[in-house]
Amino acid sequence: MIRRPAAPPETLVPGVALVVVLITFFCTPLMSGRALTAFDVYNTFQGLAQLGLLTLGLGLTMIAGEFDLSVAGTYVLGGMLAVRTGQSSAILGIVLAVGAGAAIGAVQGGIIARLRIPSLPVTLATYVALLGLTSAMSGGLSVTYTNTGATLWMDRHIAGIFSPPSLITLTGFVIAAAVFGGTRLGREIRAIGGDRRASRVAGVRVERGLVGLFTASGSLAALSGALFSYSYAAANPNPGLQPLILATVGCLVGGVSLVGGRGLPAGLLAGALSVALLGQVDAITAIPDYYTELLYAALLGVIVAVDAPGLRRGLDRLKARAATIRTPDRRP
Amino acid sequence: MSDMAGDRARPQVCVEVLSRSFGGVAAVREVSFTVGAGEIHGLCGHNGAGKSTVVKMLSGQLAPDSGRIVIGGQPVVLGSRQAAQRLGVALVDQELSVVPELTVLDNLLLGGVSTPLLNRRRAAAARCRQVLGDMGLDRIRPQQPLAELSIGERQLVEVARALSQNARLVILDEPTATLSDVETEYVFAAIRRVAARGCSVIFVSHRLSEVLELCDTVTVLRDGRRIATTPASELTVSDLIVQMLGEAPHRLTAARAPDPQPGHSLRIEGLRVPGRLTDFSLTAQAGRVYALAGQLGSGASDVLRALAGLHPQATGRVRLRDRAVPFRNPVGAAAAGVAFVSSDRKSEGLFLDKPIAANFLATRLPGLGRAGLLSSRREHQAARSLAELVGIADHRLREPTAALSGGNQQRVFVGRSLGRDDVYALLLDEPTRGVDIGGRAAIHRLLRAAADAGLIVVFASTELEELLELGDVIITMRETRMVARYEGGADGAVLMRDMTQGERAA
Amino acid sequence: MTAADNDRSPAMATARDLPGRQDGADTAPPAQEPASAAAAGRLSGLRGVDPLDVGIVIVVLAVIVTGMLTTRFFSLANARAILASTASVGITAIGATVVMIAGSAVSLAVSQTATVVAMIFLATQQFGLAAAIIAGLLSGVAMTAIQGAVIGFWTANPIVLTIAAGFAIGGVATWISGGTTVYPQVTAFNGLNDTPLGLPLAVYVLLAITGVAQWLLRRTTAGRYMYLIGENPRAARAAGLPVGRVTVIAWAIFGACIALTGVFLAAFNTSANASLGGTLSLDAIAAVLAGGTAIGGGKGSAVRTLGGALLISAISDLLLLRGFSTGIQLLVKGLLVAFVVIAVHVRSTRGRR
Repeated sequence: MIRRPAAPPETLVPGVALVVVLITFFCTPLMSGRALTAFDVYNTFQGLAQLGLLTLGLGLTMIAGEFDLSVAGTYVLGGMLAVRTGQSSAILGIVLAVGAGAAIGAVQGGIIARLRIPSLPVTLATYVALLGLTSAMSGGLSVTYTNTGATLWMDRHIAGIFSPPSLITLTGFVIAAAVFGGTRLGREIRAIGGDRRASRVAGVRVERGLVGLFTASGSLAALSGALFSYSYAAANPNPGLQPLILATVGCLVGGVSLVGGRGLPAGLLAGALSVALLGQVDAITAIPDYYTELLYAALLGVIVAVDAPGLRRGLDRLKARAATIRTPDRRP
Repeated sequence: MSDMAGDRARPQVCVEVLSRSFGGVAAVREVSFTVGAGEIHGLCGHNGAGKSTVVKMLSGQLAPDSGRIVIGGQPVVLGSRQAAQRLGVALVDQELSVVPELTVLDNLLLGGVSTPLLNRRRAAAARCRQVLGDMGLDRIRPQQPLAELSIGERQLVEVARALSQNARLVILDEPTATLSDVETEYVFAAIRRVAARGCSVIFVSHRLSEVLELCDTVTVLRDGRRIATTPASELTVSDLIVQMLGEAPHRLTAARAPDPQPGHSLRIEGLRVPGRLTDFSLTAQAGRVYALAGQLGSGASDVLRALAGLHPQATGRVRLRDRAVPFRNPVGAAAAGVAFVSSDRKSEGLFLDKPIAANFLATRLPGLGRAGLLSSRREHQAARSLAELVGIADHRLREPTAALSGGNQQRVFVGRSLGRDDVYALLLDEPTRGVDIGGRAAIHRLLRAAADAGLIVVFASTELEELLELGDVIITMRETRMVARYEGGADGAVLMRDMTQGERAA
Repeated sequence: MTAADNDRSPAMATARDLPGRQDGADTAPPAQEPASAAAAGRLSGLRGVDPLDVGIVIVVLAVIVTGMLTTRFFSLANARAILASTASVGITAIGATVVMIAGSAVSLAVSQTATVVAMIFLATQQFGLAAAIIAGLLSGVAMTAIQGAVIGFWTANPIVLTIAAGFAIGGVATWISGGTTVYPQVTAFNGLNDTPLGLPLAVYVLLAITGVAQWLLRRTTAGRYMYLIGENPRAARAAGLPVGRVTVIAWAIFGACIALTGVFLAAFNTSANASLGGTLSLDAIAAVLAGGTAIGGGKGSAVRTLGGALLISAISDLLLLRGFSTGIQLLVKGLLVAFVVIAVHVRSTRGRR
């Protein structure tokens, strides 16, 4: 069966998006009237640190053809858990947060793989439940992180443009890329997303793979939330859907398709970086938010069109009709 | 090919009195055969003979009810594809099982038990190039996305994957159905090479001349039973056909003569679907049944799918009752009076979770009320009269359709298009696939009655009895083209020859 | 499709389901139910007993028992409070049910659409209440039906598309409103805040919408098509059913429901800013899922969704009365939805694998 034409979107989409956004970024002095500084780059990477690992986790499940809405909940829970338990030892907080994220992901992945149930409603329910759990832990209020030593360490400048969270985020992507490109796991994840039946016939352990992926996405989301809370010295029990939406945009701009089977960690990095750069462009130029929103809408609109089989059928139909009209009618 | 004769005496794979049934219906009954090391063993049989079930049991996708499988002298339990692979069973599935999203190289490595956790790119790519070269695919780069390849090339990649896994037993289930002759030659050469290394091969195919050309021994199944296991050198295509069919069936009823004053007609001119169907033309008259005879990939079912609007890239001219049919669009085709019964009842046919009544009414809702509001009374009437027509008890109308047997489901599916005054042409792809004898006769009666009531009936089938019994006009097809047209005077052997034999004569 | 058997909403589950299940009814808190549901699945050679019904009965019983032990839970005032808190999410949830049945899963653009409708409604107050309502409805239907057209005719992915639409609608709204809060010039909407018989008008609208949607889904051609298309889009396409057109109709209905919610939100808050829609998108989906409508499409009903929305409100209310925080309320809601989703799935695949 012919499924989809060749797969350049996974490199083309993030490549083009990143180049466009970079050009915009370097043009910001024209609007703001001040030159770009290393600090702007630092801030961009801070933005990447905020959403990068979340994007990576979400993207990995999307490559396997699943959609893990619950990462938004795990993100929030991870932040809160790290702040609550890491007041004296930052590392302990992170370990507990990541452990909880992994456990949540593993349980969810087990249910989804075992029962072959669509992931969206399950993870949506988990999201709501985790939001509630976090809120219950904190009494619905923001909790401040008093370990100033850790917060200061988080905000250190390394080589002028990096900070520990942004380096951790980049490391996460490097590891993911290495696993993806260097082991058979990457191939199997994409196969699971591309054609689950064929993967089973070929001998891929589909269920095991799914559990692993959900565990990974849970851990990454929790880590992401923990780092974010530490560096902002506070955990917010309900940041709304914004992190999830931006991470999804990062994934889609990163060349991942919700149908599955397509995408690479490098593309996800490009997608997350594009989102972070746009956020920074916003901050530098102080343009109204709606420019960014409309830009996102346009970007996603293009992505929708690329992935719409009905649209492709319509084009086929037009082409065939044109071909029919060109050939002369033999009948009166 | 006979240098392995010594090894062949020592069987490597033994299938011992294997049985399996589905829902009380036996699909495989006490089948036994052995395959020696280096032997290429053909498995033949008509549709429903049990070949696929045997293949599924041997490849770890289905557990046998009784009997056992012995590989290399050890009785084995093949609980999953992985378990089978670990015991050295490689498979080319009937359905294309490669992943278009991956590269060619990744597809070759996918799922193999010997594939290392860490990729060794250079070694793997070199091996891949060699494997591709063996298949005549030198033009393909290992890093090329599979999606860029044609369906035939993808099939070759899947064959290459199975043959490169250093297996003890390679099962190829219809590997050549979508391949050209040249591609088939490469596959055969590659199969002979792995056999020469001592690997056992089971080859399942509908193309009988190929089976005789390639295989050392041929086992024929019929109705789930093993009929014969014969050295290929002692067989001809005709012998095989006789083994497969028992008595070669002849036409049971005389073909209906064309009506001297034909009613409406369906005129198809130069219908063409890129890669699937080449230049098909037919004028079908109301009141007669037209049969398209062709195996998978012959284009027979694509004629019907194109007419039903499911091939948007189809070109040609189609007129029904002297009006052009907008045949690239399912809604348009349906509105023009074309009703289509797909061969894939489960995913492209019925709404299985819905009650039987809902399925009967699915395509005739606008006729059952006014201005989009349904009339309960007319719904009940329509559902009841259809239930009576196709022979399903009234009280079952509220049951979910999934609760019916396959045969009854098919009756509902066919019945859905009957008794509608806005349908003029009824197209059926494999109208009795997976249906027992009784259900089959009932469906045939329904279709004959539909034709008598003035419908144009066109169906595609691979089953000779069905073609001969039901078709007033039989059109044989092979490799996307029409081969011949018969109005009476055809028998099973002739049709089989048309459908299965390429240029390779037996 | 015969409605009789499917229509039993969770809230209306009758004593018929009870025999044999009393054992776990008092003790099992909702969180532990998947296990008992699985047990029920094994038991059910008996026809008509399925894990979902059993589970829902247990949940409802748990609510009733706890409610009896809670002062003021069974009071007229509290019943009104539950209904009132169900209304605005409920109206949108009914619309979401229709698109989910028709196979489009979810929309993530609901909050923004409701917000924009509220703004339009408030900005057109000077033309009279009727005109303002019509303007709001038309804009809501238009915004949502366009998304439906792209999904129906192009088979676009609803999640990606509605995220894009959310950005577009929110962006345009901020652009036009200048990002400020919209205040009405005159307040023609006061009538919408009336409380006949002690209930907000929105409650009556919710009940009416539920009835209309139920009738539409069961008794009209378009409604029946929605069930068929939602269950098996490939089969619907192969049968030549008007998939695109019906999808647009479903989304247009959804748009009208969102718009009504927007109108009530505007009238209640007397002003509208970008955050008015709040968490409406997910709240509505949660209510639909809690009612047992399957995300895959083809199953469910408006009445069920009403039941799901009421159940969520009742549980939240009960937890509130017993002094639990909003966090716990959310947690329980999430677990309830998870349980129903899993039970619905297990039921629909039972005996098929």
